[in-house]
Amino acid sequence: MHFTRRTFTLTSAAFALTLAAPALAEETAFKPAKMTAFVAAGAGGGTDNFARTVQPMLEKRLGTNITIINLPSASGAMAHQRTAQSEPNGESIEFASSTFITSRAAGQNPIGLDQLTPVARMQSDVLTLVVNTEKYNTLEDFLTYAKENPGKVIIGGTHAASVDRMAFLGLNDAAGLDLAYIPYDNEGSASANLLSGNIDGMFNEISAIQGYIESGEMKPILALADERLEAYPDLPTTVENGWNLTFGNERGVFINAKTPPETIAIIEAAFQDVFNSGEYQAYAKSANLHVRPGFLGSEDYRAVLEENLAYFEKLLSLK
Amino acid sequence: MIEDLIGGLGVVMQPLNLLILASAVLIGFIGGALPGISGVILVVILLPVTYTMEPTGAFMLLTAIYASSVFSGLITAILYRAPGTPEAVMTALDGYPMTQKGEAGKALGIGILSSAFGGIVGTIVLIVATPMLADIALQFSSPEFFALAVLGLTVVASLGGNLLLGLTGVCIGLLIASVGLDPLTGAARFTFGSLHLMSGINLIPVIIGLFAISEVLKRCQEGDIHLSTKSFRIRIFDWPVIREIRGTVARSSIIGTAIGILPGIGASTAAMVAYSETVRWSKDRKRFGRGAAEGVAAPESANNAAAIGALVPLFALRIPGSGTTAVILGAFIVHGLTPGPTFMTGNSDLIYAVFVGLMLVNVLILVFSKPFIAVLSRLLDVPYSALGPVIVICCIVGTYSVQNSMMDVWLMLGFGLAGFLLEKIGFPLVSIILGVVLGPIAESELRRSLAMSRGDFSIFAERPISAILLGLAVILVSATVLAPMLQRRKLRKTAAKQS
Repeated sequence: MHFTRRTFTLTSAAFALTLAAPALAEETAFKPAKMTAFVAAGAGGGTDNFARTVQPMLEKRLGTNITIINLPSASGAMAHQRTAQSEPNGESIEFASSTFITSRAAGQNPIGLDQLTPVARMQSDVLTLVVNTEKYNTLEDFLTYAKENPGKVIIGGTHAASVDRMAFLGLNDAAGLDLAYIPYDNEGSASANLLSGNIDGMFNEISAIQGYIESGEMKPILALADERLEAYPDLPTTVENGWNLTFGNERGVFINAKTPPETIAIIEAAFQDVFNSGEYQAYAKSANLHVRPGFLGSEDYRAVLEENLAYFEKLLSLK
Repeated sequence: MIEDLIGGLGVVMQPLNLLILASAVLIGFIGGALPGISGVILVVILLPVTYTMEPTGAFMLLTAIYASSVFSGLITAILYRAPGTPEAVMTALDGYPMTQKGEAGKALGIGILSSAFGGIVGTIVLIVATPMLADIALQFSSPEFFALAVLGLTVVASLGGNLLLGLTGVCIGLLIASVGLDPLTGAARFTFGSLHLMSGINLIPVIIGLFAISEVLKRCQEGDIHLSTKSFRIRIFDWPVIREIRGTVARSSIIGTAIGILPGIGASTAAMVAYSETVRWSKDRKRFGRGAAEGVAAPESANNAAAIGALVPLFALRIPGSGTTAVILGAFIVHGLTPGPTFMTGNSDLIYAVFVGLMLVNVLILVFSKPFIAVLSRLLDVPYSALGPVIVICCIVGTYSVQNSMMDVWLMLGFGLAGFLLEKIGFPLVSIILGVVLGPIAESELRRSLAMSRGDFSIFAERPISAILLGLAVILVSATVLAPMLQRRKLRKTAAKQS
C-alpha cells in the first residue's frame, strides 16, 4: 500500500481521536447517539451479512448504536436515495455492492457518485467463470467450443444489470466471443441450471462456489484478476490472456456527499480499523472473502468506481 | 442413519436446545399469526442473535421458527380472513367460511392436524431422501417451471363461480406482477418513473389488502355483527373428520413436498396446486369455497410439507428453495458452513440434530397450538367495532415492516378498497393472487426456456417432464370447461328427442 496524503490524514485523525479526543470533540464533534445503516440489498445475502457482521464492530469503535434497515427495492436504488437525502451529519451510512454502479450504468439508479461519497471498500470478491466439469475441463476446451458454436454457448448470471452480466459482456467483447446470457432471479437458480447441464457456464463470486469445487461438480476456469490467486495457483486469469477485465463484486460503504470531509474521515478510519481487526479477518476467511485484499480508502475507492462505471456504460452501449 | 438420528436426538434433548426449540415455536407462532410478519422477517430479525450461538443451536432455532411460522399463518386466515403469511392465502378460502358457519374450532383443528402431518411427511422425506431428491430437483429447469406454473394457473378453472371473472382476475394479477423491472432485460415496465414501483408490487400488500382489509370494510358496512361462534373448542383428533380428510392430507403432503424441493417455487405455489388437485379429485366440487373441510386440509398439509421440502436443495445443493431458506443459507455461510454436496457427510452431527429438531417442532405445533389459539380467540369476544381497527393497524404495521415502505401501505389500502368493491360483484379474489404468484414464474421461465432453445417452442414437448405437466394442464382445462358444455348439449338433445 502506498503512503498517500490521505493515509497520513487518516492516521493522524485516528491518532487525534484516541489521544486528543476531548479537545477535538468540541470542533469535529462526531459523537452520534445513534446511526442508521441502510443496506441496499435484501436480508440474508452477501451485502446484508457483511453489514450485520460489521455492525457491532463499528458500534464499538464509534461508541454508538446502529440500526440496520434493509431497502432492497429497485436493485437498491431506494437505499441510495434514502442515503442521499439523509441529514448530512454522518449519522446515516449505506452498505452497498457493485450493483450500485452496474444499475447506474444500466439507467436503473438515479443516484450517482455526485450524491453519494464512497467511504471505504471492504471486500473485493473475485468473479470467476464457472463451468460444469462434465462439459468442460479447461479454459481452452471452453474457448474452442465457444468459437466453433457462436451464439450457442449459454452463460447464466443473476439479473440483467449485475456484475455477472458486465463480466459476460466484457468477456464477449475482449475475447471476441458470441456467448448468450440468461439472467436468473438468484444465484441458486443459475447454479441449479449449471449443475444439471442446462447452461454451459456462469459467472459467480469465488466465495460462493467452494462447496461445488470440493465436490468436483463445478470448476472455475477463469478468474477476473491481475495475477493468479494465491489460493488457486492453477486458475488462469483474464489479464494473462490479454483481456483487461479485473472488476469483481465489491462491497463497501457510502454516505451523503454533503457530509463534512472530517466526519467522513473519522468513519473511514473506523472502517479501516474494523478491516484490520482479527475479528473481521476471521469472518472474511470463513466466508471466503479474503482471496483478494478488499480495503480501499475513500478516494481510491471513488477512482475504482468511476473507472468501472465508465467501462460498464461502454459495454452496455456496444450493442 | 439410525445411529445418527439417535445422536441427533441426544443433542436435541439437552435442556438448552429444548428451550431453544420451544421458544422458537412460540416466536414462529406469534410472527406467523401477525399479517405481514412472515417467516423471512423473523429469521432475519433473529439472525444476528444466532451469530454468537454455537451452530447446532443456531440452526435449530432458525429452522424451527421457519417451520412454525408457516403453520401459524392459518390462524388469522381462518378466524379473520387475514392470512398471516402468504402461504396461508388458500386456507382462507374455505377456512373463513367455516368460521362464518360457526365451525371455527373444526377448521382450526383440521388446519393444525394437516400442518403437523404435512410437516412430518416433509421431514421424513428430508431425512431419508435428501441427496436422491436433490438430483431429481435438478431435472427441473425453465421449461419445467413454466409448465408447473401453467398447471398451477389452471386451478382458476376449478375455483367454481364465474369462469370469465376468474380469468379476468388472473389477468389483473398478471398485470400487477408485470410492474417493475423486466426480469430478463432490466427495462422498466409500468413504473411511471417511480422508484417504489421499480422493484415491482410486493405480494404481501396485495394479499393483505384484498383479503384482510376488504373483509374489515365489508363488516363495517354490514354493521357490528358478532360472529356466530363466540367460543369454540378445537378438536385436533376428531376421528370422523380425519376419515373425511385423510386422503386429501396424504395426497397434498406428497404434492407439497414434491413442489417444495424445486428451487424457487415455494410453499405458496404448493398450497395452490394442492388445493386445485383436491377440488379436481373431489366428487362434489360445489362445496369448495363455502367451507369444505378438505379445502383447509389440502393447502395446510401442502404448505408445511413444502416449507420443509425447500430445505432439501439447500442442504444438498446449496440452492435455496424459497426466500426464507435463502436467509438460512446466509446464516450457514456466516457460521463458516458450506451447504452443498459434501455438507451432509461432513456435518452429520449438526444436520441430524436439525432433522430431529424439525420433527419435534411438528409435535410441538400439535401441543402448543391449542393454548395459543385459545388466547388469540378471546379476541373474538371483542366487539368488531373495536377489533376491526386493530386488524387494520396490524395490517398496516405488518405491511410497512416488509420493506420499510410507506408506498406498500398505500398500495395495501388501495387493494383493500378494490377487493371490497370486486367482491360485491362476486369476483373470486384468489384468482388475482394466482396471477400475482404464478405469473412472474410463467413469464420469466417461458422467456428463459426460449432463450435456451434459441426461440424454438419444441423445447416444451421434447423435455418429458414439461410435456407431461403441460399435457395434464390441457386435459384438465378441457375437462373442466368442456365437460359441462357436452353435458348440457346431451341434455338438450335428450330433451329435444322427448319432445
